[in-house]
Amino acid sequence: MGDVVIEVENLSKLYRLGTIGTGSLRQDLQRWWTTSVLKQEDPFFQAHGTEALAANKQSILALQNINFKVNQGEVLGIIGSNGSGKSTLLKIISRIVRPTKGAVRGRGSVSSLLEVGTGFHKELTGRENVYISGYILGMSKSEIREKFDEIVAFSGVEAFIDTPVKRYSSGMYVRLAFAVAAHLEPDILIVDEVLAVGDADFQKKCLGKMRETSQTDGRTILFVSHSMQAINNLCDKALWLNQGKMMELGEVSSVVNKYIMGIQQFKLKQEWSTPAEAPGNDFIRFKSVELVPQLSTPDAPLDIRTPLTVKFQFWNMTDDVLLSTSLLLFSYGGECIFDVLSPASRCDKGLVEGECNIPGNFLNDGSYYFSIIVVKDTSVELYNYEECLSVDVEDYRENIQWYGKWWGAVRPKFPFRLHQKEMAFQQ
Amino acid sequence: MPESKKGWDWEITSKTSYWGWSMREIWSYRHLLGSLVRRDFLLSYQQTVLGPLWILLQPLLTLVTYVLVFGKLVGVSTGNLPPVLFYFSGIVLWSLFSDSFGGTSNTFRDNAQVFSKVYFPRLIVPLAVTSTQFFRFFIQFVMLLLLIGYYWAFQDLPSPFSLITLAFPFAVICTAGIGLGLGLLFSVITAKYRDIAGTVTLGIRLFMYLTPVIYPLESLPEKYRWMVQLNPLTPLFELNRLSLLGEGTVTAGQLLYSIIFMIVVLSGAMLVFNKQSDKLIDVV
Repeated sequence: MGDVVIEVENLSKLYRLGTIGTGSLRQDLQRWWTTSVLKQEDPFFQAHGTEALAANKQSILALQNINFKVNQGEVLGIIGSNGSGKSTLLKIISRIVRPTKGAVRGRGSVSSLLEVGTGFHKELTGRENVYISGYILGMSKSEIREKFDEIVAFSGVEAFIDTPVKRYSSGMYVRLAFAVAAHLEPDILIVDEVLAVGDADFQKKCLGKMRETSQTDGRTILFVSHSMQAINNLCDKALWLNQGKMMELGEVSSVVNKYIMGIQQFKLKQEWSTPAEAPGNDFIRFKSVELVPQLSTPDAPLDIRTPLTVKFQFWNMTDDVLLSTSLLLFSYGGECIFDVLSPASRCDKGLVEGECNIPGNFLNDGSYYFSIIVVKDTSVELYNYEECLSVDVEDYRENIQWYGKWWGAVRPKFPFRLHQKEMAFQQ
Repeated sequence: MPESKKGWDWEITSKTSYWGWSMREIWSYRHLLGSLVRRDFLLSYQQTVLGPLWILLQPLLTLVTYVLVFGKLVGVSTGNLPPVLFYFSGIVLWSLFSDSFGGTSNTFRDNAQVFSKVYFPRLIVPLAVTSTQFFRFFIQFVMLLLLIGYYWAFQDLPSPFSLITLAFPFAVICTAGIGLGLGLLFSVITAKYRDIAGTVTLGIRLFMYLTPVIYPLESLPEKYRWMVQLNPLTPLFELNRLSLLGEGTVTAGQLLYSIIFMIVVLSGAMLVFNKQSDKLIDVV
C-alpha cells in the first residue's frame, strides 16, 4: 500500500440522447462552424454548462463531478443500482470512452475486463481464442505462451482446446474466457460484474485468484458487482454511486451498510395525497403502502432475522360494505409464497387502515414483492394492487461453515432438535 | 494544475488529439494484428468446400465474366494484349483497392462490440484488414505470373519484363495506400451516418468504370480522357500494366500526382481517425 495509482478528478460524462439522424449532421456542422471557424465557445457544452444541458432532457449526465484516489494494492468496490454510472466510470478509466469534463490520471498498465470473452469468436478453436483474446486484453506473445498450459488447466477444458468454441457448453466457454482474464498481470485491473456468470465453484476460484494477486503482487483492482457479499469479501474500500453522483466513499462494510439502508428507504414506502392520483378504481383508492422493518439499531441491515410490518391505508368509496384484505407475498421469480387473509370488517366511506406482521426468521435471503387485494363480502375482488411493495432481504448466518445459496422460498426457524438417542456398542 | 500532472504515466481527458498515437504502442500490439489477419483467413474459409482456393477462384470467376461480357459481347479493346492477361492484371489490383477500402470503411460498425469493451489502438483493425488484403493480393499475383509465363511460353507473348517492372511494387503500395486512406476516412463517417455505408459499396463499384481496369486509357476518345486522368488511380493502373505486360501510358508527372494524393489522403485520414476514434464509441 502506498502511492496513489489512480486519480479521478472532477469527472463528468454527458450522453446526448435521441437518435443520431439528419439533425445531427446539421448540429455537427453548426458546432464545427462556431468552434473552429468563428473561434467561439462550443454552443452545446460550455454555453449553458453541462448541468443545464442535462436539465433540458436532451442528454443525461451519467457521471457528475466524481473525485477519488486509489492507492497501490487497494481493491476498490464500486456499488450502485442499475444506471448509477458504474459501468461508465469503468469505461472511462479503461480508456474506452472519453469523459465530457475532468480527468483520470494513473500510473502503470491497465487491463479491463468488462465482459467475459472479449475478442472470442465462436468459429475459432479454444487455443486460437486464448491467443487472440490474450492479445486484445494486452498480453504479449511470450506471456501467453508461458501461461498457456496454466490457463487451460485453470479452465479445465484441456480435452477440447482444439475444438471450435461454438461446440462448447456455455459453462466451458465462460471458464476458458475467464481463465485468460484471470492470468492477466497488469498493474491495475478493472473488473465489471463478470462474476455474474459461471457456476458457484468457479466464481469462488476466480475471487480467490483476484484476492491473491492483489495481496502478493500489489495489484490495484477496481471491482463492480451487485453481490454485496462478493464486495465485502474482496474489497478494502467501496464507492457508492447513485444516478451519477458519489454518495459514499470509504471502508467497505460501512459503505455497503449505508447502501443497503439507502436503497431500502427508497423502496419501502409509497404514498399519495389525493384519491385522484392514487392507484385504484371506483371502489378503492390506496393512500399509502409501507413496509416497516423492526430493526434492532437504526443502521442495522434488513436481514432474515428482521420482523416486518406491512401497513396500508385506502379510501373506501362505498357506504356499508363488508371488506377484507389479502396480503400476498411473491418470490422474485413470481411464485406465490403465501396469501394471508384479514378478518372481514364492515366499513363506511372514508379511510381504512390495515396492518400485518411477518415475524423475523421466516423469509429466506433474496428479493420479494407484495400485492394487496381488497375483497368485498369475502368473495368479490374489488381491487388488486399488484407489486405494491418490494423488499431485499439480506443473508445472515451464525456458526455455519457453508456459504452457498440457501435453498427455499422461506427459511423459517421451526423448533428442531437433534440429540444422541443411544450410544452404539455400549452395554 | 501543472503540479498534479507530474509523475503520471497516463491521463484521460475530454481532449483527443490528432497526434495522440505512438508507433511504439502500435508496435506493442503487432501480435494482435497478426492474429487478426490469421482469424480473418480462418473465418473466411472455415466450413467451405474449396477453402482457401476461393482466393484464386474469385478473381478467376470475375475474369471469365469480364472476358465474356466486356471482351466478347461489348467488344472493349484491350490493345495488343491478350484479354485474359489484360483483365486479370486489372482485377487483381482493383480487388486490392476495393477490398482495402470497403473492408476498412466499416471498422467502427463491425467492431462496435469489441471496441466498447476493451481498449487497444483502434488503428490495428484497419491495418489488419489491409494486411489480409495484401496477403490475398500476393497469392493472386503469383497466379498472374503463372498466366503471364504460360502466354510467354505457348502463345508467343514477347517477354514483357524490363527495367520498368521494378516500378510494380510502387503501383501496388500506392493503390493500397489510397484504399486504406479512403477507408479510414469513411469509417469515421459511416460510424456516425450509417446510410453512407451502402453508398460506399455502390460508389466503389461505379468508380471502377472511371479507372482503366477493363479498358486501356488509350482506347478512350481524346475528349473524355481528362475525366479518367483526374482519377489518381489511373496512373497506377496504367503503371501496373506497363510494368507487368509492357503496355500502358503513364508519365512521371501523373505518377507524382498519384503519390501526392496518396500521402495527403492517408496521412489526413490517419489524423482524423486518431482524433475521432475515441469519441465515436459513444455513437456506434
